[in-house]
Amino acid sequence: MTTQLHKTLHEEMHFFGGKDVDLCMNCGTCTVICPLARDEGGTFPRRIIRLIQTGQKRLLVKSLDPWMCYYCGDCSENCPRQANPAETMMASRRYLTSQYDWTGLARLFYKSAMMEILTIVLVGLFVTGLFVWFHGPMVLSFPVQLNTFAPVKWVELGDWIMAGTLSFFLLTNAARMVWNTLGGKQMFGISSLIYFKAVPVFFDHMFTQRRSRQCGSTRSRSFWLKHLLLVSGYLSMLVLVLILLRWFQTDRIYPIYNPQRLWGYYATLALLYPTGAFLISRWRRKEPIHFFSEASDWIFLVMLFLTALTGIMVSLARVNGFPMTTYVIYVIHLSIAVPMLVVEVPFSKWSHLLYRPLAMYLVSVKKAAAAVSLKTQTEAATA
Amino acid sequence: MNTINNSQHDHQEPRIGVYICRCGGNISDVVDVDRVAEVSRHIPGVVVAKVHTFCCSDPGQNTISQDIQAEKLDRVVVASCSPFLHELTFRGAVQRGGLNPYLYEHANIREQGSWAHKHDPAGATAKSIRMIAAAVGKLQYSTPLDQIRLPNHRKALVIGGGVAGMKVAADLARRGIPVLLVESSGRLGGRLNQWNRVFPTDTPAGQLVTKLLAQLDANPLVEILLNCKVTAVTGFVGSFQVTIEGPLGPSGAMTSTQTTIGAIVMATGFKPYVPDDGEFLYKKDPGVVTMPEFIDLMRGQQTDTGELVYKGRTIRSVAFLHCVGSRQIDGVHTPRADGKINTYCSRVCCTTTLQQALAAKERFPSLQVYDLHQDIRTYGRGHEDYYVRAGKAGVVFFRYHGDEIPRVALADGKRPAEPSLHITFKDYLTWGEELTLDVDMLVLAVGLMAGDIPDLINMFKLPVGEDRFIQEIHPKLRPVEISVNGVLLAGTVQGPMNIEETLNAAGAAAVKASAMFLKDVVELNPYVAQVETDLCQGSGACVTQCEYDGAIVMVETQVNGKTVRQAKVNPGLCVGCGACVAVCPTRAINLNGWRLDQYDAMVDGLTADIPAVAAATS
Repeated sequence: MTTQLHKTLHEEMHFFGGKDVDLCMNCGTCTVICPLARDEGGTFPRRIIRLIQTGQKRLLVKSLDPWMCYYCGDCSENCPRQANPAETMMASRRYLTSQYDWTGLARLFYKSAMMEILTIVLVGLFVTGLFVWFHGPMVLSFPVQLNTFAPVKWVELGDWIMAGTLSFFLLTNAARMVWNTLGGKQMFGISSLIYFKAVPVFFDHMFTQRRSRQCGSTRSRSFWLKHLLLVSGYLSMLVLVLILLRWFQTDRIYPIYNPQRLWGYYATLALLYPTGAFLISRWRRKEPIHFFSEASDWIFLVMLFLTALTGIMVSLARVNGFPMTTYVIYVIHLSIAVPMLVVEVPFSKWSHLLYRPLAMYLVSVKKAAAAVSLKTQTEAATA
Repeated sequence: MNTINNSQHDHQEPRIGVYICRCGGNISDVVDVDRVAEVSRHIPGVVVAKVHTFCCSDPGQNTISQDIQAEKLDRVVVASCSPFLHELTFRGAVQRGGLNPYLYEHANIREQGSWAHKHDPAGATAKSIRMIAAAVGKLQYSTPLDQIRLPNHRKALVIGGGVAGMKVAADLARRGIPVLLVESSGRLGGRLNQWNRVFPTDTPAGQLVTKLLAQLDANPLVEILLNCKVTAVTGFVGSFQVTIEGPLGPSGAMTSTQTTIGAIVMATGFKPYVPDDGEFLYKKDPGVVTMPEFIDLMRGQQTDTGELVYKGRTIRSVAFLHCVGSRQIDGVHTPRADGKINTYCSRVCCTTTLQQALAAKERFPSLQVYDLHQDIRTYGRGHEDYYVRAGKAGVVFFRYHGDEIPRVALADGKRPAEPSLHITFKDYLTWGEELTLDVDMLVLAVGLMAGDIPDLINMFKLPVGEDRFIQEIHPKLRPVEISVNGVLLAGTVQGPMNIEETLNAAGAAAVKASAMFLKDVVELNPYVAQVETDLCQGSGACVTQCEYDGAIVMVETQVNGKTVRQAKVNPGLCVGCGACVAVCPTRAINLNGWRLDQYDAMVDGLTADIPAVAAATS
């Protein structure tokens, strides 16, 4: 199949952070140096850069290679043309996120930080507005009665509505990713057994991020651990807020060793420490992965950090008996957390939580399907 | 087998010295040189046989010169390396010893001995002995020879007034040699007049022409003939009779004139490859142009609009295609009318393409520029810079394979604003992916072809190579000389070269020509044919066989009061090929220095029953 070239693709990449693509002379040093590329046929980052440079959009959108890279930065370090392959891989992940998204919002947010911030502010104001107009009675006596101010059943309902909506967008985007990368209709030609057998790969990579550990020499050893910690904190909060909210948001104050408090504190720390460390690293440009920061990177980290910070402040205010403070910070907390989730989950950086393990799953499916197809062909040839 | 027998010749017993070189082990590690010397002493006529570590060194040469005096030697053999390296060295040593330099023979026991048979020392030793025996045999029949001396007319003719011809003329005139510069067009400068700025300096081509013109104008020794052609030539090195036709003189009417010339430099240049009609849609679509056409249109562009406009169309995207008419592959490319394809690399197109692609991108930043190549051959100083800069400026590179040439088709004409050319190719920088590229313009980076000079080729008997360019004697060792003595090559008449290389070649040709004029006679090797008048029956077979016009002719001469027709050699034109010797029914022609009796003696020497050799071989 002939690929039609899109002349402006490399210029479009600038919006996603791929600014040095034109410097590449296709020598392939990046691919040789990459400790991860060899597992996947040894083609990226050069192939991805090449696709962008020449405008082969069809093949770029079809490619899973960007998700195979965990950004150690070895390639950029060794690039003889300073073409920054690692950042180009990052840019291609942002680009793919915008391509999977059918609403066009992801594209809008990546191209304009102002639009992203404006959306966050509007959603935040909407959440604040809901509380201003519809909050329950504010009981100012001890113990703090948060469930009277914001009844857990209503908050839970809001949670589920939001989760349902965001899941709809995220999952439809993920479906488009599957469709694009498995070659459209061809995906129906793959036996369901193959799809089923590959499922463990998804969870393996989601919970271990093992490939990140194989990343190159310039990556600090603690990065993987910090990132894993962040994911564990994030998933903990997701479980606590979506499934266990009635158990988690109580007016009764449990002893500090109670799992409700311990788990909450763990999740808070698991969010605050890595996000804080990553913010500092981005600011000081400590690690190659943090050398270049797009607006979307800052917004994600800042919002996540603030969500965790306000969350723990709500808890502290409630436990220590400051009712008004608790209510106000609770509203602020949700006015940060909700827009963060609305923008980030289906349309921006958060989505990689799903796309990365899904990419590993799809690679596994593709390999298995290719093996089957090869076997069939060989049998046909011998018969 | 014959035994070497000195009774055949009547002159006094020769005294031959044989010198065997160890070549610092190159020879002696394989060949038993002491044994060779020992056996050589027993070859009839040999009075001295010595071994030396380096015969070519000063002590080695001195030994030879001194032995000639002390041992009263009258002939010398040195058994060492190839005569290509040191024959002249030892002729000099022999001359310094007081002998005629042609009473010397060279036996190549290194390239044809120790190096060729390094795993067979005994065989190599025996072969060395036989080669020395052959040389000794030949020497016994050698006679003193003198170089042929012919009058040398101190005037050079340069054919072609391009950059090469102008440079040769300027250089020669600066050395005080009168030059006749003949140009077939009405203007000097040649192809340079077509170009804009030239790599690697981006100097305006016109500036180079102006500088060279100034040098020519300043020197009264340069005579420039425009609109003129060389139509006939006779004679030989030192005195060519050249006929030039053109509007000579003040009347401007076509006249012809004859002049005598000592040396001739061919600087007739090249012609750009012209694609066949329809090759890459050339001449079928106005968007397909050759590199010279593109350079021309770029020169005429206004930059202030910021848009490249050609034939009323705004060009938004342009692709450059390398290797059009170069590096062609048998079975892939259509041969030209002569049945040949251009397998060679034209050398200049890669850098020209990058230079033009970069210039286009710099002058029109919104222009999309693509480069389709097999390889990027930016081999010269400063050339790679264009590649780096073009890449950084946003020129996008694709790499195709030579046997899968990009295909060009017209895109459908429904949307006139859309690009009209549809290029499909496999890109090997993207793992052989088949891609299509729609562009407004396709520039064919055409290669260089040999110029159309059939008349000159016939007139001068110029040696033409497989690639149709004129071929030098040796690409490394004699790069500007050809097999026609007194005729030199300058520039792209010889093959694809860029301007720097052309000027280098022109400079070299000028130096070679100047060296010919250092003496007022031309000295030639004495190895030319000689007719034995008492044997010649006038069959004329030699004249029919001779490839060199006028080298051997039939003349009327008086023998014993009777007028007979006999062959006569013109030593200036004879190249000593020996074709006449082979066809003479009466063995009346011999080649000086390589006479038939000398061959006989060499064969005798090679096959002689030398007892010591037999012992060495067994």
